Formats: sequence, structure tokens, C-alpha cells
Amino acid sequence: MKPNINKYFIILSIAAVSMAACNKQLEEYNPGGTTTDAVYSTPEGFETLVNAAYTYNRWWYGKEEGYSIAEMGTDIWTSGTGDKYPDITNYNNLQASNTVMSGLWKQLYAAVNLCNTGITRIDKAGLTTDKRKMRNAELHFLRAFYYWHIVETWGPVHFTLEETSGVITTANRTPVDTFYAQIFRDLEVAVNDLPVTTGDYGRITKPAAEAFLARMYLTRSKNQQAADLADKVINSYGYTLLAKYADLWRMDNLQNKEVIWAVNYMKNLVFDDRTDATLFPNGHSRGANNGHLMFAMKYDDLPGMQRDIVNQRPFNRYMPTLFLLNLFDEKADARYGASFKQVWYCNNLKTAPAGMKLGDTAVLCSKYVLPATTKYRVYDRNTVYTAAGGGNDRTHYVSLQKFEDPTRASMNEEQSARDAFIIRLAEMYLIAGEAQFKLGNAAKAADYINVIRKRAAIPGQETAMEIKPADITLDFILDERARELAGEQLRWFDLKRTGKLGERIALHNPDASQYFQSYHNVRPIPQDQIDAVSNKGEFKQNDKYN
Amino acid sequence: MKKIYLICLLLLGFSGWAIAQTHTVKGRVTDASSGSALPLVSVQVKGTTSGTQTDTHGNFTLQVPDGKRTELLFSYVGYTPLTMVADNVNLTVKMESNNKKLDEIVVVGYGMVKKRDLTGAVVSVKGEELKKVPSTNVMEAAQGRLPGVDITRSSGAAGAKVNVTVRGNRSIKASNGPLYIVDGVQYENIQDINPNDIQSMEVLKDASSTAIYGSRGANGVIMVTTKRGTSGKPKVNVSSYVGVSEVNGYPRMSNGEEYTALKREANRTTGRWNSVADDPKIFNAFELDEIKNNLWTNYAGLLLHNGLQQDYQAGISGGSEKTKVYFSFDYFDEKGLLKLDQLKRYSTRLNIDQTINDAIKIGVQSQITYYDQSARRDPLNQANKYIPLAMPYDSAGNLVLFPNSGSAINPLADEQPNAYQNITRTTRTFINAYLELTPFAGFMFRSNFGVTLENAKQGVFASKTSIDRSTASTSRSQSNGSTRRYLSWENVATYNKTIGDHTFGVTGVASVLSDQRDSSLMQGEGQLLPSQLYYALQNNVSGIAVRTMYQASKLISFTGRLNYAFKGKYLLSLTGRSDGSSKLSPGNKWAFFPSVAGAWRISDETFMKSQTFLNDLKLRVSYGVAGNDAVDPYSTASYLTKIPFSYDDTNAAMAYAIGDQTGNKELKWELSTTKNIGIDFGIIAGKVSGSIDYYDTKTKDLLLQRSLPTSSGVSSVVQNIGKTRNRGIEIGINTTNITTADFRWTSNIVYSRNKEEIVELADGNTNDVANGWFIGSPVRVYFDQQKIGIWQTADAAEAQKFGYKPGDIRVKDQDGNGQINSADRIILGAQVPKWSGGFNNDIRYKNFDLNIYVFARIGQWINAEYAAKFDPQGLENSAPLNYWTPENASNDYPRPNASLSKDGTPFIKTLGYKDGSFVKIRNLSLGYTFSAQTLKPLHLSSLRLYVTGKNLFTFSKVKNYDPERGGDLSNPLTKMYVVGINVEF
Repeated sequence: MKPNINKYFIILSIAAVSMAACNKQLEEYNPGGTTTDAVYSTPEGFETLVNAAYTYNRWWYGKEEGYSIAEMGTDIWTSGTGDKYPDITNYNNLQASNTVMSGLWKQLYAAVNLCNTGITRIDKAGLTTDKRKMRNAELHFLRAFYYWHIVETWGPVHFTLEETSGVITTANRTPVDTFYAQIFRDLEVAVNDLPVTTGDYGRITKPAAEAFLARMYLTRSKNQQAADLADKVINSYGYTLLAKYADLWRMDNLQNKEVIWAVNYMKNLVFDDRTDATLFPNGHSRGANNGHLMFAMKYDDLPGMQRDIVNQRPFNRYMPTLFLLNLFDEKADARYGASFKQVWYCNNLKTAPAGMKLGDTAVLCSKYVLPATTKYRVYDRNTVYTAAGGGNDRTHYVSLQKFEDPTRASMNEEQSARDAFIIRLAEMYLIAGEAQFKLGNAAKAADYINVIRKRAAIPGQETAMEIKPADITLDFILDERARELAGEQLRWFDLKRTGKLGERIALHNPDASQYFQSYHNVRPIPQDQIDAVSNKGEFKQNDKYN
Repeated sequence: MKKIYLICLLLLGFSGWAIAQTHTVKGRVTDASSGSALPLVSVQVKGTTSGTQTDTHGNFTLQVPDGKRTELLFSYVGYTPLTMVADNVNLTVKMESNNKKLDEIVVVGYGMVKKRDLTGAVVSVKGEELKKVPSTNVMEAAQGRLPGVDITRSSGAAGAKVNVTVRGNRSIKASNGPLYIVDGVQYENIQDINPNDIQSMEVLKDASSTAIYGSRGANGVIMVTTKRGTSGKPKVNVSSYVGVSEVNGYPRMSNGEEYTALKREANRTTGRWNSVADDPKIFNAFELDEIKNNLWTNYAGLLLHNGLQQDYQAGISGGSEKTKVYFSFDYFDEKGLLKLDQLKRYSTRLNIDQTINDAIKIGVQSQITYYDQSARRDPLNQANKYIPLAMPYDSAGNLVLFPNSGSAINPLADEQPNAYQNITRTTRTFINAYLELTPFAGFMFRSNFGVTLENAKQGVFASKTSIDRSTASTSRSQSNGSTRRYLSWENVATYNKTIGDHTFGVTGVASVLSDQRDSSLMQGEGQLLPSQLYYALQNNVSGIAVRTMYQASKLISFTGRLNYAFKGKYLLSLTGRSDGSSKLSPGNKWAFFPSVAGAWRISDETFMKSQTFLNDLKLRVSYGVAGNDAVDPYSTASYLTKIPFSYDDTNAAMAYAIGDQTGNKELKWELSTTKNIGIDFGIIAGKVSGSIDYYDTKTKDLLLQRSLPTSSGVSSVVQNIGKTRNRGIEIGINTTNITTADFRWTSNIVYSRNKEEIVELADGNTNDVANGWFIGSPVRVYFDQQKIGIWQTADAAEAQKFGYKPGDIRVKDQDGNGQINSADRIILGAQVPKWSGGFNNDIRYKNFDLNIYVFARIGQWINAEYAAKFDPQGLENSAPLNYWTPENASNDYPRPNASLSKDGTPFIKTLGYKDGSFVKIRNLSLGYTFSAQTLKPLHLSSLRLYVTGKNLFTFSKVKNYDPERGGDLSNPLTKMYVVGINVEF
């Protein structure tokens, strides 16, 4: 009957409404949270995506992990006592569990995913046409840049151009050629659409993209294109080599005319990437540029010395091989004196031997054999290196001083505001020289190399530094690269792309040659990646690694 | 002769008359308190074998001899035996139940039952028991008294939290802590509650008991009931204690000589040092001077002092017929072992219960707690690696910031004025108001409204010369504020009815819980004047950062419970609860948790009445489902993460990247199903009583933070995958060993054994090596290579095969393939105990009482920081260990080597894994209670003085260290000597 039905209807509807009201109560309210859709669909929000895409550089350039993976395990460096990753420096038992591998793999792929996300969403972000063109070009460049790191380090591994949405547990193995095909496509977009200059120091510009493209051409043996493009960068944009090599490394001269692209580390440490429990929990354990810590030898407990800001805080991770030191003719080549520190002057009378005054020599390291003396500590060739040239005293040695930072606020400060140079003009000359050499134009090659060598010459020694076309060989070019770019995180890639990694290690690095094997041409895929993929049958570890 | 026959006849006649002279005695035996008839009671004529039994109505008939004063013995299982003179033809016999314990009221979810009627696994502790162990946190006092509840103190810092798990760890990611209910309202901050305010504590362990709390009950429920007022003369109790604490074993680092020997040996290995003449090559001038004069420092010893703990409490309970009031005040002060580590807690409680009329009762329980806590950044880490040769003070007695011109800052740096300060002031207000209506017989409606308001303000200042800032160049000041508002509103309706032998009880509950928090943080670096600390943040020159945050979650629930009892012997309980959580994804917010429990009071059965061995026997069986949603709010969506960035060193460039953890749009409840079977027993007239429970909990749809392949750009997601299983046995036994007029000794034995294992993970049966989760093992294990010794000179050839040399750590090649690599890692041990137990003894002699309480936790492994404190280079200090040299063929520690860093030494981590089982004499307490006569002139009703030693003796395989700490050397645990007084008047 009607009243009954109405009564039940009312009860049911009350129940339904209250249930719905209950469910409404249970909706989450998160005013402080930022989601992908909310932020990246606005112009201001999209800017933050592009800014964030640059930040991944900071995990590699100027960081211990970046030095280990890109500079160590070559013919010019061996382990210091404090080396945290001797397995990378010497290939002794290099396994997939190495934390440098998993750390950098994670950051590089997060960077690639961010670039993919940006490229996919840029049209819906409401940017103006000009901005859209520019940001699109930046994202394409960065994607190519990050993929280059991945493919050269690990070989044919996971590749995608899609934004990750939802939970993805599979990974693919894509041929190296596919990577490079995409790298060249992306760089073409970049080179076409990027502006020549930028008001934001650190953003990629057209010349920087071209410089990187020249490096890519050289890597893939497209020598004519490499030579042409390198030449264009050298001549068209007003870049010049600094008059003195030593000037490149001054802290007051970081944004100079020789730098094509750099990671811009800040003096105001709040903008740098050091981890902070509340504000930046996923940051790097040290933050900013750590190069000043890595190469310094342990001077601070020697008589007459104490740690101070000028002499740096020594982590003594890496030591030059004898081969590297002997590459330099320091009487003609100013780069030796500018790159390496051999003398430490007394700054601590309390521990100084009798007769030493402040400012006197307290420690001398040398690549030569020197007679013993009691006036100051001497670490000469025979103390530091074995007869075969391997490492002996790994705590006291000639130290790379390029990345020193005497402007830090305290002697223990780990963060340096020094910019990490990614590409500088000198590399363009070397690229052009090598490309011309490979094309058979030794004379042209010599011209380019001589520009570098002339700049490197101690005043008055320019003629002594000049080389003739007949002097140029691939090995000579690699030697010159060592002299010019030692420590600048390119060496491992240079040796790999020229196919000389194993050969030169065997010849010049006795510490690593006993462990190096041909499969070390690629790095192990991190064990946590191997453990986490669900298609373990397809995504396998690189050969011989476990 | 005829006279003799006459006398004999007379005597015979007399005797015959005597024999023939009996009369009938009838009577009825009933229960003294309830008046119900007691059948089958044994009635015996004292001194004879004649007797009978009462019938079903309690009636008996017996022939009793005339004349003499005949006594009848009445005995019945569960009742105190009674002797009565048969001086009446019709006797009324009232027998007292001796199972007082069974009539005790036990608090369960949304109600109270008598212990005899319980169907679930519930253990109860009286407030008096908890007062016996002086402690910061009431859960610490409960350690070892509750079978199945594993309680450990997390560290020795003042006010450190206590870790509590009930029946093992079910959840891997979500929290495993139990739910705390105080006076019916959820209250997490159990450390606020003063043990003196507690009337009783109940732990609900099985699903049928916890099902009524649904989602929140999966990890067990701990219910605390605070004291109420009493009518009549007001009672005041005052308690106070003072305790001195000292570190409970702290291992020492190498002294000067030992350190020097190690560094020399390290350099002998590399060939740099051959004799004492070579010392200048490896030591600097300061160190050479200190070696010559045998000067060295024990830094840890300079940092650890004795601590002090004080508590002053007063409570008044009073009231009238209709109004009952309880008021208490407590001041607690704990100074830790390190300077600057101190906690002051002030709390006050007011409980009022007001009966308005027969049908309405209202009341409020409220507490305000104020904490003033100063925390210390751990300096022991720095102290333990500091080179002992360095002298911390100069000749004038001033602190040297960098002794020996070294690079590491003096571990005592934070103790200088204005070097470091970390102070948090928290106020928590907890108010719970209720309205209870009983309009007609058997029905009660109660509405509970609880509010917790929390306000905290923290200031942290680390100066340029503090340990935290020694690797940076400026000071850092931080000011954080947070507020929290927690609301709980529950409406409970109960109806009880008895029809003949059937008793029914129905309960219905509807509740809403809402939790809102917001916080703000301000930070700056380079404070102008260090004395300004974190005040005047505007004076900081750089590193200015600000942040605010908001978080909220809600829970809505509906519950129903039906209790049924037949003749008080057969008990059944059915519960159904429905919870909706805001934290889970739409479509998955609601879940239903049912449970069923039954109990059989075997000792009430007629066939049990004839024996006297068992005076109480109850069998309980239960089955139920509980759930867990303890993930962070907002886990269903994917969020961006902010990265600090700039182009020009002046203006921030906002950078938002995709966060590491991706959201899960399918997030749902984690469900635990528990089966429980238990028996409660009492034997030898209640001298021994206890309960044994066996349980099996299966948890599925585990909330797991699953590691994703980082090639996807994100590295983790919280998903419902995986299954765990916890099964075990719990035994709790109470014995009265000796009872005489002056002497009484009772014991309480508790034993728990839990087997925790992961049954399934994300990929079915594949182990998650990255996270350390293995099928068949507990959630937290140690997975690494297994150290079997050190390679000796004799084994050089074999060592070479693996790539090692004599003096290196030797680990086992598990798979025997001639290579040592990551495949040779095994599970070395679990971080959870195999079993734990407690043995508590209360001895009373005249006015003295002695309490001895022993507690054991066996089978857990720890990563002992001390065992791994070995720096082969001698750059940092090491423990005085037995290391290998060619002359000393040790099998413990590898050869020192100046060119090998600690991180670079292969297998250095394997040195730390140790068996952390321990047995402790947790509490040793001697008290004297003054007799009533001595107290009368003082107008006191009770006065007790006591001395207690807490944590006095620890027995374990790990020497000089309290393994309850878990392996860490920071904030060591303490032992304490306490003097206290309890007064009542």
C-alpha cells in the first residue's frame, strides 16, 4: 500500500543519501600537494618541468659518482687510499651491486621520463608560440643528452619516448643504433629551434647544442659533419680560448668566454642539491661541486701542515698514473703547473720540524726521482710509484688542482660553488683535429691541435709546443686530450669510442690492467633493476657481469 | 554372674540405642552471592565415610548420629570448602565461590565482561602491577607481563619511544604498532599517561576481540582505563621516586697504546713502517708527543654521565553517591646520560562522573600534558671514531675545537655554551566527554566525544662550531611549529536480556574519527649572534627556507555485536564491522570485518564437579578478520617533488620533477585473518591458574612499498601484494607458591613464541633481494655473506683462487662454485626473537615485599656497531680487537692495511652480525609497608617505602653492551637505582 511503500522509500533514500554523504566525507583533501596534471598543464607549471629537467645534470657533473664512472678506469687515473669505488677505478670485482651504477641509472632514467613527459604535454600547457618552440627544443636536447650517457655507459638497454603512467614493471633492450638515431633526431630539433644566447646561465643554447652534436658526430664516426660543425662553433659565436690555461680554473672567472655549457652551481647553498631532511629529502649527500675534495692528497697530517681553506679538504680518492704525469713536458707546457700541485707550503709551526718557517716548502711531490732530504717531506717517483709505474704510496702524490676552491666559507665545507664545465671550446678544437685526422687531412688536424698547444705554451715556448702533421696519430690525439681535459669527466668515453680502452689500460695503468677484461666496455646494469623487472627472460644483465 | 549379664545387656542396649540414635538432617546448598542452587555438592559427615550429594535443586538428606556435635563437610569444585555443625534439622548452606578471579571485570571493546564470560584472547593487568616498575612510559612497565606482547625501549635518550608489537609483525610497510584506547577513545600518545592514573590495562589479541575495532585492531588493541572517583571519604595517594641511572654497559674503544699499535701495523703491511724510528712517517708532531708521554683520551667516557629520573605524583579520588571525582597531578623529570638530554613532563588529569538520575549519567575524562624536551644530537658516533691520542682540552683548560690540528671536530663541541640547542615544547590536551542513558532495563546508550589537541613548537640551533655543522661553514637555525586536532565521536547502544537459561547481549556502534595536522618550518643559516639561537631568524644571512604542510584523514565505521550465553556455560559472540577510510582509493574505501567466537566453560559442567584437581577450565575458539590501512594519507595520487634550483644565485627557479613514488589508484585494505584456540585453567583450588593460546594469523593484500625498475623513471609504489603469516603460542601462568599467615610467594610466568614468515611477495614466489624480503623468512632479516674466519697463511693458495690473500676476511662460498659473489649471500638471522618470556615473583613477608622480575628475549640478531668498529687504516679509532697479523693468526678480524679504506675492505659488514639474545633481571624491588597501627597517629591509611634496581643485570653473548638497544652505540640504555614512596590517606 502506498504509505508503506513511501515509508520504505524514504528510509532507503535516507540511507542512500547518508551513505553518499559518508563517502563524500571520505574524499581526501590535499591543499599542499602538487600533482602532475595540476602543475604541468599551466604555463608557469610547465616552466618548473623544464627547470627540473636540468637538475639531473647535478648528479653527474662535479660529483664523486660522475668522476668515478666517467673519468676513472682509464689510462690516466688510479686509486688513492680513500677511493670508495676501487672496483670502478681498477675493474677489480666490478659487480652489479655497485651503488654508483644504481644511483646514476635511476637519476638518468628519471630525467628521461621527465623529458618525455614534457615533450608529450607541451602542447597542452598553454605556452606562447615562441616559448613553446624554445622549451620544446630544450627538452629534446636534454633527452638526447641523457640518453647519450645511458647508451655509452650501459650499451643497448631500456629505451622509450613515452611518459610513464601507472605501474610499469618491464624494461626493454634496444639496439645502440636506435638510441643514436633518436639522439640525432632530437639534436636536430634542438639545433634548429634553440636561441643563440640565454639570459638564464645554465640553460642550453644553440651553440652548446651544436657543440654536443659535433661530439656525437665524432662518436659515430661521421667525421666530415663533426669537423664542419666543430669549426662552426669555434668561429661563429664569439667563443675564445682564454689566454692562460690557469685562468680557466679561477673561481672569479667561472662564466668565461671559453665555456660553452656548464652546470651552474650556486654560492647560495640553498639553491644547490644537498639533501636536507625537511626541504629536499632526496638530494645528494654532499651537494654542489665536490671536485675539490676528490683529487687532493692527504697533506694535513704531515709535519708543518694543517688543513686550511686554501689547501683544500683532502678525500684523496684519485691519484694520477705515472703515465699521466709523464705526458707533460712541464718546461714548455703550462698545463702541468696549472693542473697539478706539487708543493705544499708550511702553514703550521706547531708540527713543523726545527728551522721551518711559515711559507717554507713543507711537502714536495714529484714525478722525478729526487734525493732524500730532511728539510721537508719528499714524495718522489720511487716512493709514490712502483717500478712498473703502478701505485705504491697512494696517500701522498701529485694532486690535480683544477677544481680547488679557496673561496669556500670554511675549510671543511664540502659544497663548492664552482661551475662544472660540460663542454668548453678546447674540446671543439680537439674534435675538429681528430675528425680531420680521420678524414686524412693531417695538416688541417695539426692546425687545430696547435691552437690548443699554443695556448698551453709557457710564454716563450710556443715553438717548442708546435707539432707537425706527421706527429699526429690517434694515440697522440688521445694523449693531447689527456693533457687538456684531465679530470673533466670525458676520458672513459673518449677511450671507449676510439676503441682504445683495453689497449691503453694495458699499456699505461698497471693497477687496472691486471683486472680489466674486454666485457668491461659497458658497465653492469644495476642489480636492483635486474631484481625488479618482471620480464627477467628478456631484460638480462650485460654479458659476464653478475 | 547374673549381674554381669544384666550390665552387658544394659550396655548392649545402650550401645544399640546409641547406634540406633540417628536423625535425619536436610538442607539446601546455594551460592552465597547469587543464591542459585548448587547441585552435586559433596556433603560428608566429618570423621566418617558417610556422606551424600545434593540434588539438582541443591537439596540433600543425610542421617546424622544423635547427641554429639556432628560436623558436616561441604565441598564443591570452584568453591571454598565449608564446615558446618549439623545442629539444625534443616540447614541452609551458603557456599562462597573461590574463583574470585573469574568474577573480575575485564574491559573489552565497547563493553565490559566478567572474565568467566570472555570468548576471546584478552590479558589484563592491574594498575598496581604497572606502578611497580618506575618508568617514563607505562608500556615499559608492562614489559614481560603480557604474553604475546613484545615491548622494547628504542633508546636510552630521555623520553625515548617504546616499540610494541602484539603477536609479531604482520605488515611490512604499514605500521605494526597496536591501537591504544584510553577510556574508550583512541589515543596514540600512551607516553602521556601516568602509570599511577591507570586502573587497569587490557590487551586484546585475537581477531574476535579486536574485530570490533575493525581496521584499527589488526595489530592488537591495548585498552587503558583510568581511575575513577569513589563515593565516601576522599582518598588521596601520593607517590614519588628518585632514581639515578648509569649506562648499562658501554664497550670501550682503543686507548692510545692500542690505537698506535694498530696504525703501526697498518703501515707495516704496506711497507711504510718497520720500526719505531719510522713513527714520524705516519704520525704528526702532536701525536708523536702524545705517544711519548702516553697521553690519551676516552671520549665516550667524557660524554657519558649519570642520569637522574624523578617523579612526583598526587591523586585524589572522592565523591558522593551521585558525583565521583578523580584528580591527579604529575611532574616527571628525566635527565639522560648525555648533557643537554632532558625531559620535563607536567600532566594533570581530571575525571568526573556524574549521575543525574536513574536514567542519565554524564562524565568527562580529561588530561593536559606539557612536555619540555631538550634533545641532543648524538655525539657518541663522533666520539667513538675519534683518535684517542688527541687531547680535548689545552693546558689552560679550554676546549680545543680541532684537537691535534685534525680534521674532525671535537666530540665535546656541542656542550659548549650556545653551540647546540634542540628544544621542543609540546602541549597535548585530551578531553573525553560521555553521556550515558539507561531509559529502561537492559538498554544503555552511550555517546563518547573525544578531542585531542596538540601543539608543538621546536627550535633547533646548530652553531658553526657544532658537530652537525662541521662540514658546512655557517650556523643553522630552525623553528618548527605543528598543530594537530584529533576528533572521535562514537555512539554505542547496548541491550541485554535474559530469558530463562538464555542470555543475550546486542551492541551497535557508529563512529567518526577525524585527524588533521598542519605544520610550518622556517630555517636560516648564518645567525648573526650565536646567542640568539633560533630566535630572531630574520638575522640569518643566507639559506632562508620556508615550508608549510597540511595533512588530514578520516575514518567512518559501523559495528554490531551479538553475545549469547546458555546457562552461563556455552558462550557465543558474533561481530561485524564496516570501516571506511579516506586514505584508500575510491571504490576501495570500505571493508567489512566479521568475526565469530565461542567458549565452553568446561568446569561448570556436571561431570567436572566430581573432581577437585581442576577448579576452572574454559575452552575458547575464535575466528575473525581485521584490517590495516596504516599508510600515509594521499598515497593514491602521484605527486611532484620540489628541487632547489636557480640560474642566477639570487632568485629561486621553481623546479618540480616527478616524485620517486608513484601513486596507486587501486590502494585498498590490508586484511588479517586470525584463528585462535585457547584454554583458561585453574588447578589445585586456584593455586595455579593461567591460559594457553595458539593462534594463526594470515595477512593478505599486504600494503607493500614495492621497488619498481628505475628504468621506468619512478622507483616505488605502494601496492596491495604479498602475504605474511604469523603463528605462535602464548602461555601465561599465575601460581601461588606459598601462602601462610606471614609469608606469601606468588609467581607469574609468561612465554610467547611467534613464527613470522613472508608467504608471498609481488612476483609470486620470487624473493625481493633489494628490500631484504625472503619467502619463508620474517620481514626483517640480515642477508649478507657469512664470515667464517680470516684467511690464514697456510691457506694462501686457496685464498688466491678466490682472489684474496692471508689476512683478508674469509666468507663462505655457499654454492661451492669457486667464486665469491652476490650469489653467496644467505640469511644470517632474523631481527625478531624466537621466543620471549618473563618470570615475575612477588614475595611478601610480614610488612616487607620483594619483587623480582626476569625477562628474556631469545633468538633475535642484531647488527652490533661495536663488533664492526674496525678501521683497517687507522684513520679513525677502532675497538681493541684481535686482528690478524702474520705473527698473530687471529680468526676474528682482518689485517690492518693503510692503503685500504673501511668502505673498501671486502666484507667488512659481515663483522657486525651477532646473536642479540638476552636475559635481564629487569626489576628488583624491596618495599616496606608500614602497619596500620603506626600509621594511625599520622592519619595515613597506607605508607610504603621501596628501593628498586631496574635493568641491573644483563646476560647475553654480546659483552659490555645492552643488546636490547639493537646494536646501535648511540643513546645507550641505562640501569637505574630508585628510591620511592607511596602514601595514601
